[in-house]
Amino acid sequence: MEFQTESIGDDIAVIRGDGRLNMVSGPELRDTVKRAIDRGLVRVVVDLSGVQFMDSSGLGALIASLKSARESKGDLRIASPSKQVSMVLKLSNVDSILTPFGSVEEAYRD
Amino acid sequence: MTEERKSLVFSSPPDDVDAVHEFLETVWQANPEVSEFDRMAFETALIELASNVIQHASGDGGVTCVLSVTADEQGLAASLTDTADAGGIVLMNREMPDELSESGRGIALIQALVDDLRYERVEERNVWTISRARESGDD
Repeated sequence: MEFQTESIGDDIAVIRGDGRLNMVSGPELRDTVKRAIDRGLVRVVVDLSGVQFMDSSGLGALIASLKSARESKGDLRIASPSKQVSMVLKLSNVDSILTPFGSVEEAYRD
Repeated sequence: MTEERKSLVFSSPPDDVDAVHEFLETVWQANPEVSEFDRMAFETALIELASNVIQHASGDGGVTCVLSVTADEQGLAASLTDTADAGGIVLMNREMPDELSESGRGIALIQALVDDLRYERVEERNVWTISRARESGDD
């Protein structure tokens, strides 16, 4: 899966990908987030609207990316998860650190 | 609904879990009466299982797996037989790790999504079975 990064303002990165977030694409997501942070885009929004399936490896990549963003005094938020992604987030008890937003705009508003 | 049993043989490398997703797509097409939630839950559990098997065998020159899936009135069941050494994956009751943990959720997720998860060592093969009863019609 290829990820695209769009920058908004000085410090926001919106990262999008189409496909499955798993042991194959997870490392690619981590690299994409790291490149954005290295450019100073430390407020990261991962738009999950094109991700129809995520497993625990994909979730691990999101959490690793969240930690990288926080280490750089930023944050990582997720937007528009599918039903399956929402199910995995809920069962994994990560709602408090990865609260899904309804849209990309809502995710970076404040 | 008539019983439908389908099988897939895959080897990693070069195959990865996408082979399992594509295979399941044919199972869902043949069994349109399986509810969206049952499909989602079962697919997630089976992919976690296959990922675990592939990941644990990746240092040992790879693994070959035979997967069969059955859909009938009772529900969904899968059997995954692999050629890896025994003991690579510990099943026991696994709890969900700390929320900032980057790994260790796979088996806990499987346990949350299926009714039964079993492991047997049979003739130098690991045999994993999972089953999930059909969602009742009233909810």
